[in-house]
Amino acid sequence: MNSSVSEKRRRVLAGLADALIAEGSGKPSASAAGVPGELLDRCLEAVPSLRSPLMAILDEAEGRDPDEFARELYARRPEDFTVLSTSVMGAYYLSPEVRKLIGYPGQAANPLSLAAAPEYLENGMLERVYERHPGYREQQGRERQPSPT
Amino acid sequence: MLGTGQPPDRPADVVIIGAGASGSVAAAALTGAGFRVVCLEQGEWSDTADYMSAEPEAELAWHEKWNPNQNIRRNPADYPVTGDADIHPTMYNGVGGGLVQWAAMWQNLLPSDFRVRTLDGVADDWPIGWNDLAPFYDRAARDMSVSGLSGDPAFPELAYPNPPMPIGRSGMAAARGMDRLGWHWWPGVNAIASRPHNNLNACQRRGTCIIGCPENAKANGALTHWPGALEGGARLITGARVREIALDRQGRARGAVYIDRNGAEHLQEAGVVILAANGAGSARLLLMSTSPQFPDGLANSSGLVGRRLMQHPYRTVMVVMEEELDSWEGPWGQRIYSLEFAETRPEHDFVRGAKLHVCPHGGPMFAVYDHHNAHRDAGFDGLWGAEFHRAADTVFGHAFTWGVQAEDLPEESNRIILDPEVTDSDGLPAVRAEYRVSENSRRMLDFNAARAVEAAEAAGAVETSVSSIWPTGISHILGTTRMGDDSSSSVVDRWCRAHDVPNLYIVDGGVFVTAGSANPTATIMANTLRVVERMIEQRRHQESAV
Ligand SMILES: Cc1cc2nc3c(=O)[nH]c(=O)nc-3n(C[C@H](O)[C@H](O)[C@H](O)COP(=O)(O)OP(=O)(O)OC[C@H]3O[C@@H](n4cnc5c(N)ncnc54)[C@H](O)[C@@H]3O)c2cc1C
Repeated sequence: MNSSVSEKRRRVLAGLADALIAEGSGKPSASAAGVPGELLDRCLEAVPSLRSPLMAILDEAEGRDPDEFARELYARRPEDFTVLSTSVMGAYYLSPEVRKLIGYPGQAANPLSLAAAPEYLENGMLERVYERHPGYREQQGRERQPSPT
Repeated sequence: MLGTGQPPDRPADVVIIGAGASGSVAAAALTGAGFRVVCLEQGEWSDTADYMSAEPEAELAWHEKWNPNQNIRRNPADYPVTGDADIHPTMYNGVGGGLVQWAAMWQNLLPSDFRVRTLDGVADDWPIGWNDLAPFYDRAARDMSVSGLSGDPAFPELAYPNPPMPIGRSGMAAARGMDRLGWHWWPGVNAIASRPHNNLNACQRRGTCIIGCPENAKANGALTHWPGALEGGARLITGARVREIALDRQGRARGAVYIDRNGAEHLQEAGVVILAANGAGSARLLLMSTSPQFPDGLANSSGLVGRRLMQHPYRTVMVVMEEELDSWEGPWGQRIYSLEFAETRPEHDFVRGAKLHVCPHGGPMFAVYDHHNAHRDAGFDGLWGAEFHRAADTVFGHAFTWGVQAEDLPEESNRIILDPEVTDSDGLPAVRAEYRVSENSRRMLDFNAARAVEAAEAAGAVETSVSSIWPTGISHILGTTRMGDDSSSSVVDRWCRAHDVPNLYIVDGGVFVTAGSANPTATIMANTLRVVERMIEQRRHQESAV
């Protein structure tokens, strides 16, 4: 089977993708977010094993009512549904527009600062752990560790 | 024995099989003491350029290329794990071993963990105790640039070289619940540098630890131990899959037979052989190393090689809070942990206990997966279409995970064997796992998951959802070559030397007698240091074939 994503397959995917991710809650539908285009290509590159089963699903869905077809996969063919939904969702959440709308910066670098003392040391929470702990089971003659506070 | 008639490689003092957590420690320490070390590693080097962690596709990397399950990832170095076990061992095969993908939770065993038979009348005591490991725990923590806060009264004194990672909003939310209930918790200890330390950079909190750290901030033998070992003259041969331990006529180890990337076989001779191929790989290699003298596999006169497999059965509780938690933020180590229920208590209907820890919740796809899991009954209309966005609106950014890590007791029927049919890419038998979660473990998990829910509710959770037992486990592979003083009931002695072969050592997680509830790597690395220092001390008395 040819595993390239033809325009026809992209059109079929657009219908199925919108059955899975419709517009709502201030967020665009999958096709409006661009799932059937470059986002799908990036998703398939990241998860290559999706490609061939997804193409088979798209060929099968051609000419079918997308909503009905998606429900059929969901109800009877969970593995195929997972291929479809992972591809659609994976592509959808690559969209910068969608990421912005849900407040997701991606797994971005976020350097940490050790300058301020942690809240749990300042507000007494950790000291309470230290104070109430009965000691470990094999404490025997051993000293307790000094408290960090 | 050598099919392709290659001449033997130059003999080494020591050949180490596996360049993972334990192999890295052994190589660095032995090289430092002047030994000629060769390490044979079936996998390859990986570095920041190989990871997808800094790309927008990071969340998709988990699905295949950096899936922690080798059966999905299927790199050329991976060997399949088969069987219908309740929990399947998973691992990373390459320089650094499991540390390439680990979450870096650094957790020492408790003193009581070494004396389970004496204290609770179950399983077995270790032949060593806390005091034997204590100095090595501290040194291993230094070598691994561990970040943590000393003073946890649940332990004897511990020292960490770096201040703890911030526990973040999710850690604080979880800790508030524990505070209200009066339960033990402590800021998470992680082998992740909170500031530049030795070869590591400071963590950038990307939260992609498990798909490879793109900042070189997470400790991994490839960064922490191998640069020094290689500089000191160790030789690390990658793409070298060992298929057998070679013996001399007296039954002493002569070296290791390995297959290179082109399928050619070599014999690496050495005075001492150290197995560091993890609890699955070392047992597999011993079972493959049959001979007239050892028809049931090498070092297996006890019949215990591969048996007593322990894996820390694991469940998670998704906790959803009203407040914003930035729950994709890293690191993917532990924010806080609790040992409140780690010990046997008379009121429980199980013995021993579990460790609880808080992890971040990841990006939007993880939010969808967990939300859908929690609302399976909602059907297509409740989860997809216009309803699809509910996970992003309610769970994403607002959730954290309580992990429930149970101490499973050793049972001989839980084991790994060689698969009679399936092979790896070199035609060597795959590992077949046989593992059932015991009634004791199930009760322990039920009880502790309920406590995690209670803690979440005390913290003000708006929703909680408990997972089933993770079928691919958490990559803790323990107990398959246990240590002990009695050669009829253990594979290696207290110095991790095989009872049956005087110059064969095993240093990976297989030597654990019991699992405790702690993540195992701190103990694996500390124990390796302990064993190797003794080898160095005793070098004049070491019997060898070469
Ligand atoms: C996703 C993930 C998360 C984890 N999180 C944590 C955590 O937070 N805390 C913790 O303590 N532990 C964690 N672990 C477990 C940790 O990685 C292991 O405990 C540790 O790596 C085991 O060390 P080892 O030396 O026993 O074996 P490994 O590190 O597994 O190394 C074994 C090496 O031997 C090589 N090998 C095997 N067979 C052969 C052969 N025949 N020939 C040549 N080479 C061979 C392998 O390729 C591998 O590189 C995690 C693991 C994973 C995968």
